[in-house]
Amino acid sequence: MLFEPVEKSMIVLNGVSRIFRRADGQLVRAVADITLEIPQGQFVCLVGPSGCGKSTLLQMIAGLILPSNGSIRVADSLVTEPSPERGVVFQKDSVFPWMRVIDNVEYGLKCRGIAKGERRTIARDYLRLVGLSHVEHAWPRELSGGMLKRVAVATVFANGASVLLLDEPFGALDYVTKRQLHDVLLKLWAQSDSENRRTVLFVTHDVDEALTLADRILVLHSGQLVDDLDISVPRPRTADSLLLAEMMNRKHVLLAHLGLEGATALAAQMEVGS
Amino acid sequence: MKGESIELPASAAATIPIGRANRRTTPWRIDPFGILGIFLLVSVWQLLTIFVPSSLLPAPHAVTGRIAKDFFSAQELTYFGLPDASLLGSMLYTVENVVIAVIVGAMLGAVAGLVTARFRLARSIFDLVVLTAGTVPILVAAPFFLIWFGVGRASAVMLVLLYVAVTLYLFAQKAADNLDPVFEESARTLGATSRRIVWDMLIPGTVPQILGGVRIALAGAWGLEAIAELLGSQYGIGKAVELFAGVTDVEGIFAALLVLGVVAVVFDAITAFCFGKITAWSVVARPGGR
Amino acid sequence: MSAVLRHRTSLLVLVGMAGFWQILSMIFRAEALPGEPMVPGWQVLVTKTFLSLSDYWQGGLGVESVASGGRPSYLASFLAVISNSLDTVIRLYTGLFLGAVIGTLLGLAVSWSGWTRRIVELPAQFLRTMPLLAMVPLFQLWFGTYFIGKVAFVAYGVSVIFFAGVVNAVKNVPQIYIDNARTLGATKFQLYRTVILPSIFPELRSTILLSLGTAWAAELGAEYLGAQSGLGYIIVYSEQFAYLDRMFFVALLFTLYASISYAIFNNLSLRLLRWAPRAGRDVLVELKGIGNALS
Repeated sequence: MLFEPVEKSMIVLNGVSRIFRRADGQLVRAVADITLEIPQGQFVCLVGPSGCGKSTLLQMIAGLILPSNGSIRVADSLVTEPSPERGVVFQKDSVFPWMRVIDNVEYGLKCRGIAKGERRTIARDYLRLVGLSHVEHAWPRELSGGMLKRVAVATVFANGASVLLLDEPFGALDYVTKRQLHDVLLKLWAQSDSENRRTVLFVTHDVDEALTLADRILVLHSGQLVDDLDISVPRPRTADSLLLAEMMNRKHVLLAHLGLEGATALAAQMEVGS
Repeated sequence: MKGESIELPASAAATIPIGRANRRTTPWRIDPFGILGIFLLVSVWQLLTIFVPSSLLPAPHAVTGRIAKDFFSAQELTYFGLPDASLLGSMLYTVENVVIAVIVGAMLGAVAGLVTARFRLARSIFDLVVLTAGTVPILVAAPFFLIWFGVGRASAVMLVLLYVAVTLYLFAQKAADNLDPVFEESARTLGATSRRIVWDMLIPGTVPQILGGVRIALAGAWGLEAIAELLGSQYGIGKAVELFAGVTDVEGIFAALLVLGVVAVVFDAITAFCFGKITAWSVVARPGGR
Repeated sequence: MSAVLRHRTSLLVLVGMAGFWQILSMIFRAEALPGEPMVPGWQVLVTKTFLSLSDYWQGGLGVESVASGGRPSYLASFLAVISNSLDTVIRLYTGLFLGAVIGTLLGLAVSWSGWTRRIVELPAQFLRTMPLLAMVPLFQLWFGTYFIGKVAFVAYGVSVIFFAGVVNAVKNVPQIYIDNARTLGATKFQLYRTVILPSIFPELRSTILLSLGTAWAAELGAEYLGAQSGLGYIIVYSEQFAYLDRMFFVALLFTLYASISYAIFNNLSLRLLRWAPRAGRDVLVELKGIGNALS
């Protein structure tokens, strides 16, 4: 499945920056003057070394913190606070331990006043889609980390958000569980047809993860957008897909941006203008 | 809703216990060695009575016999004009005071603690008052309460109430401070209003620590109530101890103290059990578990 | 809120409380007895009250006691305050020290073998649940109402806490340190001295702060119920005459001493524990708040 560009812009950032004051009083610019557009239905990965400001950027788009400068618009309206339209899957376990799994998944629906029978059905459907029907009534503390992440993903999808923001959600998981969750996420995302497809912004520092998931990779460094790569390899992408020339090429670029191998190769490439 | 679900490998699915929380260490699991220990304690006690005169140390069987004798009616207590003249009656009075004080004090303290955790202005005012009150043993207020509220139920209950409120204030505030902010953030992104955040996040999230605080406050409440009665009261198990002490009736003192101790232990066990059930979901150590 | 702003607010609140008290004293002019206001204002406290404390000076050092005809004077009051404060404080710290030492030694001894620990655990827990303050009359019977009696009572209360704290701390020493030492060839005794003792220091410090509250409460309780001198004695003696102003004055003194002792122990232990991993030190600061209230 390939991403087909749609006219409509879902997420628009205009000159966004964010400054923090550190404990010792010094000012730190976490995000510096970012302008970008993400069309509806695109799966974008935000990549960068630790401390580059990617989480801060994501939190601003979510509405959890406000930009110091510039504006963020999602679906043409200004973002000033969190909203169920912009679902977030956090890095930490955000599943509420004092509610059973099914109550967690339907929580957003409950907040919006949807009737009990209806929200139960929706929640059950999404639990089935992520493969957790059998733990519907379990307490979160009985579940493994991977299962908790599935619950978080199911919750966000069940709540009907049109924009999904994921902040290094699978960072703490082992390789196999991570791959399973990629499948879960992509499957749920590909459910809807292109008009209704959710726009995804996925923050990660894992280059392979970004290459496996994304239509487009944005690279952040020291709060600034330094690269914008398109991935045109069709899905589903396997381990073999990563060995394709285009993918290897992209991988080298990303590794170079992260300060790892291939820095000189990147420089050479940029001179040639490929 | 179309689409296939993701199947977990069969082995993984089979090992997940559903619904019933995995048994963790319960706070009152009885170790057989512990029973041996109790037995040894009583034996040592019995042994000591050989060397120590009974006017200082009554024998175990004498004490239990005395409890049985004086449980429903105690001649010694009636003699001094004590209305509810029995160990049971005295104990009931004490229990009533403690229960009222703990319930009301816990509610006041917990609410204040949660509120001040969220509102900085209230916090800077309350914190100083409570922390000064917390540095000094609440006992210092006892004589004042005796004068302000008179000799009677009110002064003892107020004293214990103050103690419980201060304790719960600290526990509730700490619990709210330590509640992972990710829960509130997640709730906001799911569309929860401020009211929902208080009822669905703040309160359930802090319940384990608050209940743990109640258990700890309850343990301390018994002693405070007893000494309040010792200072100025007409009734109660503390008053009974005072009366027995007045005529150097060591056996009686032991009997009264043992009754008080057993009641404290029983209440602790019951609250531990109930609180454990309420917070079956809790990932952290069981509330108040030692 | 920045630290400076917090300090300023604290100061303001302190001043506010003092002012509030004064306003209360002017509103509630009710008197428990003629001449004894229920809520004595500051002007009363500093003059009449302080002077009245001369009553508690037992005579000596060239200053005659009021009981034998001497006149109340600032000097007599000063001496009364000093001597009674010393009495209380000395009893407290003696009992605290004794209880800490006994409790720690017993705790370490019992923890030597896993079996002894398991045997002692349940009865010890039961003893700990026995309300301390209810046992004052018992201790008075056993040890009298003089110095020994008070010290014994405080020591008992403190040793129970230290015993439990030490046993718990030894139980919680991370197994990995023990395994490591044993694979490096340490004998059991060496293990105790070089691994277990240092490991339990952080928790010992928090146990001290916890027991400080109990010690003050125990001392006060013992003085309430039978003493010849001391701050608690003055309070309860004044209470019988409804001398609320004296009670309040002495209670303030008591508060001062207790706060100072907390500050000393808190700072001292933080300094001595600079090597401890962060969690250990945070526990201390947090427990200070909770431990104080648990008295």
